[in-house]
Amino acid sequence: MSRSPTSDEPKLLTDASQGGGPDPRAQVPVRDITSGVSPNRQLSELPRDELDHLAEEFGLDATKFKNRQDLVEALHERRQLIASLDREAMLDVVRWGRRPVTASASKEQIAQEIARIKSMRFAGLSQPGLVVLARLRALDATDGESVPVLVRKLKKKESIFSRLGRKRRAVIGSLISRMIGEEGPGDYQFLPGDGVAPTAAAPAPTIKEDIEESGLVGGITNRIKKTADAYLNQKLDEIEGRIDRKLDEIDRRLAEWRDKEIANRIRILKITLWASVIVAIVSLIYSYVMEVFVRHH
Amino acid sequence: MFRHLDFFDFFRWVLGTIVTIYATVITIQSLWGWVTWLSGSDKYMTMLRRYLIIHGLRLRFKTFWGDAIICLLLCVAFVIIWRAHVIIYDLGARLSNVPVAYQR
Repeated sequence: MSRSPTSDEPKLLTDASQGGGPDPRAQVPVRDITSGVSPNRQLSELPRDELDHLAEEFGLDATKFKNRQDLVEALHERRQLIASLDREAMLDVVRWGRRPVTASASKEQIAQEIARIKSMRFAGLSQPGLVVLARLRALDATDGESVPVLVRKLKKKESIFSRLGRKRRAVIGSLISRMIGEEGPGDYQFLPGDGVAPTAAAPAPTIKEDIEESGLVGGITNRIKKTADAYLNQKLDEIEGRIDRKLDEIDRRLAEWRDKEIANRIRILKITLWASVIVAIVSLIYSYVMEVFVRHH
Repeated sequence: MFRHLDFFDFFRWVLGTIVTIYATVITIQSLWGWVTWLSGSDKYMTMLRRYLIIHGLRLRFKTFWGDAIICLLLCVAFVIIWRAHVIIYDLGARLSNVPVAYQR
């Protein structure tokens, strides 16, 4: 599933540190990563607040970069990193993180969704997915590293305050979950795109997990939003089904009407032809009698 | 002038002419109306045209094959009877020439 990032993945820039001589990677055709790809020059033209926003979307902490040029460099490196990642592994992370991404989304869009995933429960995530997640969380991870090593690295990366905050939220989530008596996790539907069939992935999170990840208000809000979305989707599906049934009924009635109409027309034509043939036979007998008997006897 | 007028012949020719012209005019009028209506360029007309084509393609000959074959056979019979008329008129003409030749 995982591919080497140095195989045929696109490179935005050649490595200047390698000095003269033709860079073998420069032979690889450069593809567009996303519609939103901007060259370094364009990035540097952006105002600071937009750069900060972009950095946040890509999972970078803009406050760490005092200098504007450093931020531009960091963004550029992040883009290069995203371009080198395996798309399938990125989709694995998205499925694991239950993020709403279409299967046809670009690598940068997928990376932005991955940057929003704050979960530290790595159960269900594949090894290539863990590598992608580790790299996007600014960890030095190689393709060959085992799952426990990657998980350990990711956990080590989490600061003590973040861990404490997460534990606190987990306790609150556990309390709330017990108070409302939540049932087991449901099925998460990875959003399909462009004719791709929905892919079943990790089960939907419990309210405890929601609260642990997003806090008390955020978790409950997420849960209400998801329930409302599910209800709306169900109603929309019902309406769509009803419209489809009505259209099928109209089509069936039209087909019946068409068959009946054609049958009637053919019957009228048949009656007309019978009448014509009968009159023609009478005319033939009349002509025979007149020509052979009456006029010559 | 009307002494040798055959009323049955008159009825046949008048009826045949009127009915043929009437049927032709009505058919052309109807076809023209449909063509004019369906030749609109807006998207609903385009959709309707495609829908009609689909309905045409979905038409099954098996549903109407009995009546259609009868119509075809009646048409053949009509042509044969027409041909028989020609032969009888020819026979009449030959018979009418026989006494003249004999007198000569």
